[in-house]
Amino acid sequence: MIKNNIWRAIINYFFILLIFLAILQFYFFYYLNLGWALLTSFIFALGLGWILFKQVISPLKKMNMVTKAIGQGNLNQELPFYGQKEISQLAQNINDLVRQQKKVLAQITAEKNRIQTILNSMMEGVIALDKQGNILLLNSAVENFLGIAQEAYLGKNILSLIRNYDLERAVKRVLKSEKPITQELQLIYPEPSFYYLKATPLKNQEQEKEGIVILLRNITKEKRLDQMRTEFVANISHELRTPLTSISGFLETLRDGAIDDPAATHRILEIMSKETGRLAKLINDLLHLSKIEERRVVHRWQLVQLKEIINQVAAMFQPQAQQKSLSLTVEMPVELPCVSGDPDLLAQVLTNLVDNAIKYTPPDGHVLIRATTDKDNVQVEVKDTGIGIPPEDLPRVFERFYRVEKARARELGGIGVGLAIVKHIIKAHGGSIKAESIPHQGSAFKVTLPTEKIETEE
Amino acid sequence: MRARGTFEQELTDLQQDILRLASLTEETIYGAVQFLLQQDVAGANQIISGDVLIDKLAQEIEDKCVKLIATQQPIAYDLRLAITSLKFLVSLERMADYAVNIARATLYIYGYPLNRQLMEYTSKMSRVVQQMIKEALDAYVYNDAQRAREMCSLDDEVDFISAKIFQEAVRAMREKTQPQIVIPAVYFLLISRYLERIADHATNIGEEVIFLITGEKRELN
Ligand SMILES: Nc1ncnc2c1ncn2[C@@H]1O[C@H](COP(=O)(O)OP(=O)(O)OP(=O)(O)O)[C@@H](O)[C@H]1O
Ligand SMILES: [Mg+2]
Repeated sequence: MIKNNIWRAIINYFFILLIFLAILQFYFFYYLNLGWALLTSFIFALGLGWILFKQVISPLKKMNMVTKAIGQGNLNQELPFYGQKEISQLAQNINDLVRQQKKVLAQITAEKNRIQTILNSMMEGVIALDKQGNILLLNSAVENFLGIAQEAYLGKNILSLIRNYDLERAVKRVLKSEKPITQELQLIYPEPSFYYLKATPLKNQEQEKEGIVILLRNITKEKRLDQMRTEFVANISHELRTPLTSISGFLETLRDGAIDDPAATHRILEIMSKETGRLAKLINDLLHLSKIEERRVVHRWQLVQLKEIINQVAAMFQPQAQQKSLSLTVEMPVELPCVSGDPDLLAQVLTNLVDNAIKYTPPDGHVLIRATTDKDNVQVEVKDTGIGIPPEDLPRVFERFYRVEKARARELGGIGVGLAIVKHIIKAHGGSIKAESIPHQGSAFKVTLPTEKIETEE
Repeated sequence: MRARGTFEQELTDLQQDILRLASLTEETIYGAVQFLLQQDVAGANQIISGDVLIDKLAQEIEDKCVKLIATQQPIAYDLRLAITSLKFLVSLERMADYAVNIARATLYIYGYPLNRQLMEYTSKMSRVVQQMIKEALDAYVYNDAQRAREMCSLDDEVDFISAKIFQEAVRAMREKTQPQIVIPAVYFLLISRYLERIADHATNIGEEVIFLITGEKRELN
């Protein structure tokens, strides 16, 4: 373009030169020789051209370059001032324009960053879709939920991002009806989880539909707790009903005449007292757990001889073990340091652990209570050769009401609070508990308690 | 870019239809196994009745696809896309049918004592199979032939667990003390067969994805 213009200017120059020469010829025909005339005019024209170039063409060229760069998005450009007034004005205007543009852009960027930060700080997942259901935007919560990187999905259809029939149907419905909807959603990948979904139509200023915004809240935990609670109620009812049915059955028998037979009465009373005991234990366990959890237990802190407690508990379970042909053995050093704590609560810990070990070990197995000590701690381990706990359940057995394989535990009469109680008590004593297990080979629960005197924390 | 804008749109729609059907199939398989492991009869019934929807959807997509091939006469990649879509349809529908079979088995074994080991193996096997389906479909979504190739190595694991299920079922049936165990053990054998067939179809889908992207036919594994 510029080159073209220069050529045109040169041609024009020669054309004007020709006219100029003709005029000169006309006036000074006799006085001037042609060579001189040509030379003066050429020098004159050169000077004129130089001024023209300096003042107009060069600034225009520069502006041309700069505006082109601006058009391509490079706003870091400034034009210098020029002598020529009009051109200087133009340069000034362009500079103002660029500065203004820069400010607006900075504002927009700041705004966008702010919104992105807000979106990314949300616990809920946010997905924005256009009218076709293609992804416009998603926040980091969604990336976390789905284990993906955002870039891979921008512009793709929602079905590519989340292959879920219900979700796509919800999107379609909202796009059609233009009314928001809420519903629950189960996703299989990357982990099976539940979401609460809210889909709202997105409209522009003219109230035309633009797309849709989806909010996702992960409710897997709530769902799981809910399920555990339902199961718990079912179990507890079952647990309460079984002894009650038995008691009321025997009461009936007594009333129907068995009371006149002293031998039968004696036997029935025996059974009834056992069943009442079971009921009482159940209710005690529950009360106990809730008390411990609410930290309402009054601890009777004192120096405790773990040795005594271990022997007591072992003796208590000996008959039960024999009934199942299990060997129940105790292994401990002659000297076992005292720990400080509540003897009843510590006895309860051991009781629950040994109870489980016996309960979950098939006949002809072994249960071992072993105590060891080092400088600062006493370790008590309850080990069995039972059915074990699958690795995926192991981290969860200390949750209240959690039982591995519901059917099996119910058969054995557990409600899943034993280990929860154990964990709370150990925590209150400043100790720790660890479970290890190999399925079908056995389990080991290791309690560690500090020997030195501990501060009463509660 | 070709000038036929509606044709482009139709192809995109077709791909989305496939993904929609795939989502239903994936959920059906997941649900069927889940309800089996939880012994949830109501859930199993739901899976069985849900099959109608899958069949209907598959039929609709097939009609659309055939019409597209007949009227637009696509070539090269577009033709491959249309053909693979037809094959996906068949595979996805079959997979869902096997899931329904698993749901039926759940009803038949309900109430019988269950072998824990068999349940564990089945759960593990189903996880691998579902991973295969996911990888195959993701390869389709991402246009990623490499992913499709890698997914097929999971098939060995499926075979391995399947063999274990066979051993355990036979062992359980030989035990004379518990005759009630025979029926569920037989069903677990069948279920492992169903899962194997589902894995085969997942492999087919993986092969088709490779064909779609590279244009070459190759037998995987
Ligand atoms: N020694 C063990 N061997 C195998 N499984 C165990 C053992 N101890 C605990 N478990 C598993 O952990 C679960 C939780 O145990 P927990 O003691 O809390 O409940 P429970 O024994 O079922 O009921 P309870 O409240 O009557 O003790 C049990 O249901 C059982 O499945
Ligand atoms: Mg217990």
